[in-house]
Amino acid sequence: MSATAPILQMDSITKEFPGVKALADVSLSVGIDEIHAICGENGAGKSTLMKVLSGVYPYGSYSGTITYRGEEVRFKDIRASEAAGIVIIHQELALIPELSITENIFLGNEPTTRFGSIDWKGAQREARELLARVGLDEDPDTLIKDIGVGKQQLVEIAKALSKRVKLLILDEPTAALNESDSQHLLDLLRGLKGKGVSSIIISHKLNEIEQVADSITIIRDGRAIETLNVVRDGVNEDRIIRGMVGRSLQSRFPDRVPEIGEVFFEVNGWTVQHPVSAERMVCKNESFTVRRGEIVGLAGLVGAGRTELAMSLFGRSYGAYRSGTIVKDGKQVQLRTVHEAIDNGLAYVSEDRKALGLNLLDDIKRSIVSAKPERISRANVVDEYREHDVAEEYRRKLRIKTASVESGVDTLSGGNQQKVVLAKWMFTEPDLLILDEPTRGIDVGAKFEIYGIIQELAAQGKGIVLISSELPELLGLSDRIYTIFEGAITGEYSAATATPEALMKSMTSSAQKVTAA
Amino acid sequence: MSGISDLKKIFGTGNTSKLRQFGILFSLILIVALFQWLTGGLTLSSTNLIAVVSQYSYILILAIGMVMVIIAGHIDLSVGSVAAITGVVVARAMAEFNLPWPLAIVFGIVVGAAIGAGQGFWVAYVGVPAFIVTLAGMMLFRGGQVFIGNGNTVPVPDGFRAIGSGFLPEVGPETGYNNLTLLIGLIAIVTIIWRELRSRAVQRQMGSEIAPAWVAGIRVALLVGIVVVATLLFAGGRVGTSFPISGLILVVLVIVYSFITRRTVFGRHVYAVGGNSRAAELSGVNSKRINFFVMMNMSILAALAGMIYVARAGASGPNDGTGWELDAIASVFIGGAAVAGGVGTVIGSIIGGLVMAFLNNGLQLMGAGADTVQIVKGLVLLVAVAIDVYNKKQNRFSIIGIFTSKRGGNASVAATTPTSGAAPSATASAETGAPAKD
Amino acid sequence: MRKKLIASVALAAAGALVLAGCSSRGGDSAGSDSTEGAAGFEAGSLIGVALPAKTSENWVLAGDLFTDGLTEAGFKADVQYAAAGSPVADQQAQIQSMVTKGAKVIVIGAADGGQLSTQVEAAKEAGATVIAYDRLILNTDAVDYYVAYDNYEVGELQGQALLDGMEAQKGDGPYTIELFSGSPDDANSSVFFDGAMSVLQPAIDSGDVVVGSGQTSLKQTATDGWKPENAQRRMDSLLTSTYNGDTELDGVLSPNDTLARAIITSVKGAGKDIPVVTGQDSEVESVKSIMAGEQYSTINKDTRALVTQTIDTVKALQAGDEVEVNNTDDYDNGSKVVPAFLLPPQIVTKDNAAEAYANDPTLSKLVE
Repeated sequence: MSATAPILQMDSITKEFPGVKALADVSLSVGIDEIHAICGENGAGKSTLMKVLSGVYPYGSYSGTITYRGEEVRFKDIRASEAAGIVIIHQELALIPELSITENIFLGNEPTTRFGSIDWKGAQREARELLARVGLDEDPDTLIKDIGVGKQQLVEIAKALSKRVKLLILDEPTAALNESDSQHLLDLLRGLKGKGVSSIIISHKLNEIEQVADSITIIRDGRAIETLNVVRDGVNEDRIIRGMVGRSLQSRFPDRVPEIGEVFFEVNGWTVQHPVSAERMVCKNESFTVRRGEIVGLAGLVGAGRTELAMSLFGRSYGAYRSGTIVKDGKQVQLRTVHEAIDNGLAYVSEDRKALGLNLLDDIKRSIVSAKPERISRANVVDEYREHDVAEEYRRKLRIKTASVESGVDTLSGGNQQKVVLAKWMFTEPDLLILDEPTRGIDVGAKFEIYGIIQELAAQGKGIVLISSELPELLGLSDRIYTIFEGAITGEYSAATATPEALMKSMTSSAQKVTAA
Repeated sequence: MSGISDLKKIFGTGNTSKLRQFGILFSLILIVALFQWLTGGLTLSSTNLIAVVSQYSYILILAIGMVMVIIAGHIDLSVGSVAAITGVVVARAMAEFNLPWPLAIVFGIVVGAAIGAGQGFWVAYVGVPAFIVTLAGMMLFRGGQVFIGNGNTVPVPDGFRAIGSGFLPEVGPETGYNNLTLLIGLIAIVTIIWRELRSRAVQRQMGSEIAPAWVAGIRVALLVGIVVVATLLFAGGRVGTSFPISGLILVVLVIVYSFITRRTVFGRHVYAVGGNSRAAELSGVNSKRINFFVMMNMSILAALAGMIYVARAGASGPNDGTGWELDAIASVFIGGAAVAGGVGTVIGSIIGGLVMAFLNNGLQLMGAGADTVQIVKGLVLLVAVAIDVYNKKQNRFSIIGIFTSKRGGNASVAATTPTSGAAPSATASAETGAPAKD
Repeated sequence: MRKKLIASVALAAAGALVLAGCSSRGGDSAGSDSTEGAAGFEAGSLIGVALPAKTSENWVLAGDLFTDGLTEAGFKADVQYAAAGSPVADQQAQIQSMVTKGAKVIVIGAADGGQLSTQVEAAKEAGATVIAYDRLILNTDAVDYYVAYDNYEVGELQGQALLDGMEAQKGDGPYTIELFSGSPDDANSSVFFDGAMSVLQPAIDSGDVVVGSGQTSLKQTATDGWKPENAQRRMDSLLTSTYNGDTELDGVLSPNDTLARAIITSVKGAGKDIPVVTGQDSEVESVKSIMAGEQYSTINKDTRALVTQTIDTVKALQAGDEVEVNNTDDYDNGSKVVPAFLLPPQIVTKDNAAEAYANDPTLSKLVE
């Protein structure tokens, strides 16, 4: 690839867990001043490889060699790799919300004065320089909890820079970021590579990889399948997907002929107040309709109020209800609690699977029936045999990959966890499913399956409200799309009229209301 | 290979929490066996078993309530004081107002329910952490106890004493055993066999996987064996003694509460709230109501425990209930519950409590002082929970894991990583991660 | 399949029967025929001694003396102290264990004499003789003997010593005093207090003695758990509420030495002159305090004499001899009048300390 020696060369890395070969003979080469992407489905072994590299799995627990800046290295823990200039930034940020930016940057690495006390003046000065390098215009005294996720990500990078990083590893860096923050981050990575910092990036967002990476290594089932040079090999998303899943996906979205019925769900003048500040309205007089068998997309930037709208409809789970009505099947309904919402045939699949969607301590079968255990209960006593049957049925239907429905949901991969969440809500026999980012953090193969499930639900005559930050997903699935900006619906598009450009325009301004149904 | 995985099914099918319970049970058996040997057979003598059951029944009753509180993610420090104040109120009601003792028991339950409703209100509806509410309750009701009892001992009538120190009557033919105890043992045996046959029948009907007959045979034989030995020991004590009435109350409560926690919608909701209360609420669970009832239930059981203790002691005294909360909490954690909530079982906590009870008893039989007993109990608590934490980190189950990894290696992994098999679950879940909120 | 299952169950049941078959109800016959005063029991039998938590030196000493004395007399001694955190429940369990181990005599220094009836009755039914040591066991007819110092007399001596001491220190009255009593769960507390009040009440009635705080009932003056910190806390409050001005405190009735020292600490802390403070138990620290002129008096209830008397009783029971008692009228425990052997207590002040402790190896050195 490059004429000079690579900064990192991993050769024949094999890592075994009892009974499982997580990595088999994987080699990876990262050149100086290169952004190297690692792609693969969940469970393919990407994170394991990075843990081997960063010393989380110490030397001796794997076989193979790591050559870094021309020398063989044997890291015994993560401190050793950091000392050598390899810094890994995890998806779950390791920042302390109650401390300031400066304190976080130098946490565990505090500069000291001659007397052994912490040199806060110096730290602050250095922090300011680091923030400038990552393009973050914030006071170093600001508390972490007071800045957004995107900026927090930049602080993480600043922290890495403070450790004289030579090789930066980012695990799903943009998963929680909105478009503009993601873009800023990617630009930053590109800028850093000119200044002696190489990067390894793990991401599910293939468009970003295509855009930023110089080369791509694809891992499947613990093996390195191929390494592509983006420019030379003319890599595009479909090419990457083919490598990852080992087959070509004819279409990113399954085929479907929509059968759309009558309007059965109407929201009129929905207004909801922010839970803390009384003047702020998170939903402003919003009205929309859903037809039977229809997939309705809700497009909006992160923070536009899509989740707030969904949750406030679902048993007033968010904010304080101010005004507005819900009409279902021609009758006005009151959904004051989640229980009432479920009884009236609503289901809400949360965007935050782990925090709001599942009890990770529970097993699969109990999770599936957890939103409506009454369905398989007599006199409030759960029929465990029927529970088992129901769980097996969904396991088959949704192809949940597990040895047994008795296993804990925490043993499942993200995609399979999401299937359990979907099963849980399908089990409540809803008429309207609100799906909030249903494919977030899920790999390509599982995404495709979930799209199929969504379409199948619509084909059964259920109404679907789909919230997604990925425009291709919305465009690919929806029969109709509403756009939301700052808590108000700003546009309505039919599948035929919706284009990325038009949607983006309505998502970023409330200038004129578009009704192009 | 299949032999070993079949063998594991003796203790239930695949489920790790069941296996964990087996670990605690195994420790209990080990401790009993050890002391049986060290005390020259005194531990498993009729007199001693009867004594252990009646001595610890009230702590175990507390453990039942406590495990539910802990599963829901709370803690209750007030149980000892609630038990004590109920004891003195009931004792005085009987002494001064000549309240008949059956009514006095009902009255005591009402007192417990009222106290529990109060504490539940603060925890569930005001949102004060249970630690604080019950710490306050601990002081409040301890003071109230001394105030009501004047710091004196208040004796209780003989009829009332039956619930704490009573035995089943001797009826029927002279068999050399207490016949009612034999009858209870027989019922237990029939139930065990019936349940096994029924569950196999249902499994066959549903076409799900059935453990081989020999596995079921060994499982049933083990259980029946234990029940037979226990029955004969309890029935074979001094004339006039039997399985204690307090023990009987305990057994009934264990059966009822195991059923409630495992099989009812309410029980499911307790686990859901403790495991992830936001997710539970978004699944339609009224978490406030669950918290309220769990706290209230604890105080009702504490009231019952207090009355049983007073009945056993023959009088209510100012020292009643001191330190009980700690014994109950220790039992629950030895029994495999998690500090953060969401995990735990009634049976596990009872076994955990029995571990403490037999340790205490065995050391006393050996003549060890109270100081030694406390040191050992402290260490056992620490080690038991440490093993649990270690096993969770290793993502495999201890004792079974040791058995299988020595022999085959693969069985333990199969039990814990039922995913695609590509990588251990730790790796898989790390990659998916939780996206942040809007 | 089902055949196999049933066969293995039957096998297990049979095995269990064989195992358990040996434990028939034989145990009770050995117990039921040994009644008190009968033919005695085997020499070298197990004697259980259950004492309360180690809260004062005397219990520790008593435990050591019992272990040595009983072993010397050829018995197997099992001496246990209750845990400090939950003394009653712990003692109950210990007594049960002694019954299980087949103790022939169980000596009980009760943590709470009102809450042991079930255990004592179990002991009785198993054929053991129960001796209440120092503290009476209440509300049960299963207690056989009571061995103690005459606690009413202790109270009387304390009351008299208080009056004598104040007269010696201050001359004529009227005197201002405060009263402290023991733990409400100890049956002896009221006996001490009543004894002392039998001496003090006439003086209070005549106006010669004034209780500064007006707190004169047993309940008001109680010290929970005999804990010194509770006494100190109460004394602190009294000093603040009643003696913060010119009012002088002349004397304090304290039921024992541990509390007396706590009271003196409190008074010293408030910068007041140390009043006349009574005590009981002849604890080392208090004897030192008396010799230093701080605490006024203590009671010498020689633990050795009490333990020796108890062991003599055990020996008499073993031999089947008549057990010596000297009071069969006064100790009604609510269910029966317990035959008692009472030892006379002795008041000790600085004046007679040398003579009183002449036989005590530790204390005699302190009072030379």
